[in-house]
Amino acid sequence: MGMGGFGDPRPKRSHNADKHGLFSNASGWKSLITFTVLALAWISGFASRLFAVIRFESIIHEFDPWFNYRSTAYMVQHGFYNFLNWFDERAWYPLGRIVGGTVYPGLMITSGSIHYILHSLNIPVNIRDICVFLAPIFSGLTAISTYLLTKEIWSSGAGLFAACFIAIVPGYISRSVAGSYDNEGIAIFALQITYFLWVRSVKTGSIFWACLTALSYFYMVSAWGGYVFIINLIPLHVFVLLLMGRYSSRLFTSYTTFYIMGLIMSMQIPFVGFQPIRTSEHMAASGVFALMMAVSFLKYVQTILTKAEMRYFYMVAVVGAGSVVFFTVVLLTYAGVIAPWSGRFYSLWDTGYAKIHIPIIASVSEHQPTTWFSFFFDLHILVTTFPVGLWYCIKSINDERVFIVLYAVSAVYFAGVMVRLMLTLTPVVCVLSGIAFSHLLGLYLKEEESPSSQDSDSEDDGSSDKSSRNLYDKAGKLRRMRHEQMKESDGLGSNVRGIVVMAMLMMLMMFAVHCTWVTGNAYSSPSIVLASYGQDGSRQILDDFREAYYWLSQNTHSDARVMSWWDYGYQIAGMANRTTLVDNNTWNNSHIALVGKAMSSNESEAYKIMTSLDVDYVLVIFGGVIGYSGDDINKFLWMVRIAEGEHPKDIRESDYFTERGEFRVDSEGTPTLLNCLMYKLSYYRFGEFRMDYRSTPGFDRTRNVVIGNKNFDLTYLEEAYTTEHWLVRIYRVKKPDEFNRPRIPLSERKIKRSKIFITKKTNKRRKGTIKNKPTVVKGRKPTKTA
Amino acid sequence: MAWLRFAVVALVLFCGSSLAAPDTINPSVRVKQADRLVDLASQLVKINTQLVFENTGSDAARYVLVALDESHANTLAYINAILVEPNKGGVKPLKVEETTVQNHEKSSNRFYRIDLKTPLTTGKSVTITLECIHTHHLEPFPREITQKEKQLVKYTGNHYIVSPYTVVKQKTTVNLSARNIESYTKLKPVTQTDMSLNYGPYENIPPFSEDPMLIHCENNTPFLTVRNLLRQIEVSHWGNIAIEETVDLEHTGAILKGSFSRYEYQRESGSGLSSVKNFKTILPASATDAYYRDDIGNISTSNMRVLSDAVELNLRPRFPLFGGWKTHYVVGYNVPSYEYLYNSGDQYILKIRFIDHIFDDMIVDDAVTRIILPEGCHNIQVKSPYPIDRLPDSLHFTYLDTKGRPVIVLHKENLIEHHIQDLEISYSFPRILMLQEPLLLIVALFLLFVLVIIYVRLDFSISKDEASENKLRIAGFVEKILSHQLKRINAYDAYDEQLNKLKQVKDVNSFNSSLRTITNDLKNETQAIADLQAKLKTDGPESAEKVAELQKLDKALKELLNQQQTLYVEKLIPAKINRTAFVEADGPLSKKKADIREKITALVKSLQN
Repeated sequence: MGMGGFGDPRPKRSHNADKHGLFSNASGWKSLITFTVLALAWISGFASRLFAVIRFESIIHEFDPWFNYRSTAYMVQHGFYNFLNWFDERAWYPLGRIVGGTVYPGLMITSGSIHYILHSLNIPVNIRDICVFLAPIFSGLTAISTYLLTKEIWSSGAGLFAACFIAIVPGYISRSVAGSYDNEGIAIFALQITYFLWVRSVKTGSIFWACLTALSYFYMVSAWGGYVFIINLIPLHVFVLLLMGRYSSRLFTSYTTFYIMGLIMSMQIPFVGFQPIRTSEHMAASGVFALMMAVSFLKYVQTILTKAEMRYFYMVAVVGAGSVVFFTVVLLTYAGVIAPWSGRFYSLWDTGYAKIHIPIIASVSEHQPTTWFSFFFDLHILVTTFPVGLWYCIKSINDERVFIVLYAVSAVYFAGVMVRLMLTLTPVVCVLSGIAFSHLLGLYLKEEESPSSQDSDSEDDGSSDKSSRNLYDKAGKLRRMRHEQMKESDGLGSNVRGIVVMAMLMMLMMFAVHCTWVTGNAYSSPSIVLASYGQDGSRQILDDFREAYYWLSQNTHSDARVMSWWDYGYQIAGMANRTTLVDNNTWNNSHIALVGKAMSSNESEAYKIMTSLDVDYVLVIFGGVIGYSGDDINKFLWMVRIAEGEHPKDIRESDYFTERGEFRVDSEGTPTLLNCLMYKLSYYRFGEFRMDYRSTPGFDRTRNVVIGNKNFDLTYLEEAYTTEHWLVRIYRVKKPDEFNRPRIPLSERKIKRSKIFITKKTNKRRKGTIKNKPTVVKGRKPTKTA
Repeated sequence: MAWLRFAVVALVLFCGSSLAAPDTINPSVRVKQADRLVDLASQLVKINTQLVFENTGSDAARYVLVALDESHANTLAYINAILVEPNKGGVKPLKVEETTVQNHEKSSNRFYRIDLKTPLTTGKSVTITLECIHTHHLEPFPREITQKEKQLVKYTGNHYIVSPYTVVKQKTTVNLSARNIESYTKLKPVTQTDMSLNYGPYENIPPFSEDPMLIHCENNTPFLTVRNLLRQIEVSHWGNIAIEETVDLEHTGAILKGSFSRYEYQRESGSGLSSVKNFKTILPASATDAYYRDDIGNISTSNMRVLSDAVELNLRPRFPLFGGWKTHYVVGYNVPSYEYLYNSGDQYILKIRFIDHIFDDMIVDDAVTRIILPEGCHNIQVKSPYPIDRLPDSLHFTYLDTKGRPVIVLHKENLIEHHIQDLEISYSFPRILMLQEPLLLIVALFLLFVLVIIYVRLDFSISKDEASENKLRIAGFVEKILSHQLKRINAYDAYDEQLNKLKQVKDVNSFNSSLRTITNDLKNETQAIADLQAKLKTDGPESAEKVAELQKLDKALKELLNQQQTLYVEKLIPAKINRTAFVEADGPLSKKKADIREKITALVKSLQN
């Protein structure tokens, strides 16, 4: 990286270059360098995302990607229309889920069409491999679209820098490593290309580019819920341009075209439907559209009216139009035509909102506010250089730079609110850092040119100016005159320039090293396969998750219903192909709360819930044996909180804390905790377990305590399977006729009867008698009874 | 088609049964001695019987018959007879065929005819070893056990050998896998030693005598059954054969009852004795790139050991297999084709195993082998060592295929290790077809390049873009002008050089001669620029103006140089002027010259952009 990224990509020439026609073509050089740098950025971006594949295997990672993979595989198998109409009865039992209407299908369509094309060319690539490698491939496209965007805003040199940055920056890699088959993988590409096309259309004012913007916006809408960012940022850009008095017919053409086409197309996605005209998140766009119309109307009126009339008219019109728009929106919201902002949206403005009102959003770690550490971790040196680029853009502002400034400011805010939104910040950081680096290097390298051309002259450097006359290196690039060269030496000395350039190159190198390190260490774990390293450096693979899921898929009834916390819903559906109660879709809070209630109640209460939900198996994650911290006991308080939100009478969070307000599983833990289902399922028979002969039995390595409730038995459930390292434990829910009847050895079985019937049969008298046998009196008919 | 095939099959069956006369039991043949070894040490029942046939009659017997009772016949997977000739020191395989026997058509016993190489004449005897292997014959009893319990199995058989002939003397040895015997039928004389039971000798037993034998004993050996095996062999003429086996495995022993306790399984040695933790699969010695995976990825718990004569895969399923538990996996590897594929000219023969080893004492309930031959093969013939169903051929498409590769699909049920035998598939393949795929690639790339060339060279825009075309034309002119300008500047530099020389050497003649060429050059270049300028005027007036400016400056520069030259030639050389006066006169000239040059540089720069 960093190669070719000189601020002004004016090609440097060797002295013998002008002898060859090939090299004397400036545009040829330029496009060759551009092509090479972009190709290298693509390759290095692709390669650095392959850590997980090389260390583990080509496998789908984490949670959401499993759902995406499963629905892609479904689409490939059953066709697109069946996918749109897919009612998944294996999720959210007994409710089910209409997948086609509740999913952004862009991802599936993308990989499905790649699969289709390859297979029609007889290239038998498995759909799983396409899914695994989709995000790394798209990262190359993202680099190219970032290059285009930066080129449009600043220069192609800055674009090359930005492309190189985005290819390897950890903030983006975190969502696009091989196997991380998620919407974000293609959405960042769609985001960048939409912004590029938008800037291009504002610049040119052509309907063609505006249409392309709308098309790529349509792709973005089909790919990710983050499209809301676009449909608010572009109107904001237009609005700010209007405020700055930068209205132009170009802006009018591009925005109106984009808005109308984008609106209509975005409504074609079943999951989005009528939201663009009915929810508050989308109202800014239509408001700006109305404003745009009003402004252009005013501009038109301006051509007719006199100045004095105009001023009066202008005031009235602006106030009138503004209030009409505002009241319409308020009224429609009040009347219920426009939905108010959703909870997730509120939590963007008030970071404490989710914790109080929607614990399910707050329970996801990636919805937490970002720490300073993670800014540096994800962006490294770019976090310091991007304000520089921002400053350059502000200093020489124009229509499209207003856009990038707004993008930067809003993205910084959102990234501060949620860790997850670091992703939207990263591209703009790369763009602006590219500008900063390009500008700085341009500043320090440009003046280097003529001395360097002298230095390379071996005959006599510096002895006389005249001697260098013959060394023109380029047609038309005339040698500098004597005093021009003198003027240069008044500026920065070559030493200073050298030091600055070296320092910048050092920073870039450290950035590259940091990116590789972060990618390798933090973002390349599939999280369904764990690796532990022994003291001798040998690697041991803990494959417990797949062990358990595969056991479920092979050895349970095909219709078996598995209850687990929602985190594992997609994985169970994807790997075990079994029905789940709740999954990562989290659309139905009360259903999740019911599962949370079952987990936090005692066994008999839980059994009632489980029978009412037809649960056959319960799956819990338990990390106490190997010290895995992401297990269900550590997540347990969220289950309690979510359950309490819906069932405040039955579940109280305070019951699970000790008097000192601690959450402990040792002997000081509260009885409610030590007898709840989650505790029992996690620690069943763990009380006898010891790691080695010296350690105490029942020592939990995750929480570093000896557990409080050791010897208990399960009445309503039985252990069905536990993986090798106890990481996943599966229990079978007994049928009502099975439990509570301890097995009695055959010898002790006695059947008690009140009336003992003793047969009269003996060895001699074999004839049996029938009890209550009607006595037959011969010769007389039995009397008829009525 | 289906009914036609049915009709043909029916006809063949009908003809076969009516034409081939049923065999008869020759009453004069009797079995002099029978030693039976029943091996119950694994999940298979292996019965090895050594029979000594004797002909007491007058007619020579060309064949002998053996019989199996119904339960053994139903579980029979493999039968083989070997002629033992101790005096000739060798064994010879004999042909064994199922047959019907006169007067016994309705009997539940099944008969097999062993054709003798040389007819058994009066008074002679012949020793034949009969090997029968039965699958799913051992029945776990009880059907369900808990994790702690041992697996017990039940063997039902016959104390006497089922034989169509009188058996003079017979004895039976039963080998077991463990010492623990729950019960066994005791038809005297019977003895139990360590891990085996010895029945007999029983003497002069009439034909078809029956006396049920029941052995109930412990057997914790793996009871694994491959329910379905799909073996796919993909042959490439480029030197590789890819083999992939998809296996549906089930533990067919006693079913696990109640819960599975990981704690007990890990801590107690007697827990889960009958469960299967891992097994060994033996691959050919040349196997490389082995993989072991299932629907959700690589199964990380496996080891591969390369031995001198084989590759041993130690496969461990994701979870231990208890009774009734199933798993499903895929094992694949590559072998070089020179070990299996032979050819002479365009005729090829592929010799490859119908099934391969999966684990010791394996049972395969249902096997399908698909052999994918290279594209363009025809005349395909299959020769198999034992009867195999050939299903309809199909086509397979993979990289660079156009009309598809022929696929031969073979199917057989109830297989064991003894069925690991080579198939012979012969086909013809024109070798020129090897070039098809590279040529296809070359043509495709060539077409791609041609398309790119056409796209780049031709203009596909539907409207003419005047502005940019104009710009390009102007740029062309400007570039030419600039190159001329460069030459001109070079000439001026030479001019300067000559003046300097003149100043120092004071050689007017040589100066004049070189000056002539320089001025000539200058004239030519200036003229060329003027021509181009005239052309440029129509397209780009702006640039033309700049060029005019350039010309003006050039004129001034030339003027200055001329002045300098006059100063040198007329004043300095003849020494008409003193040093200070010369410097005074020369200084401003040089300065002006430098100024003009700077202006020219600026102009050229502005033209460049």
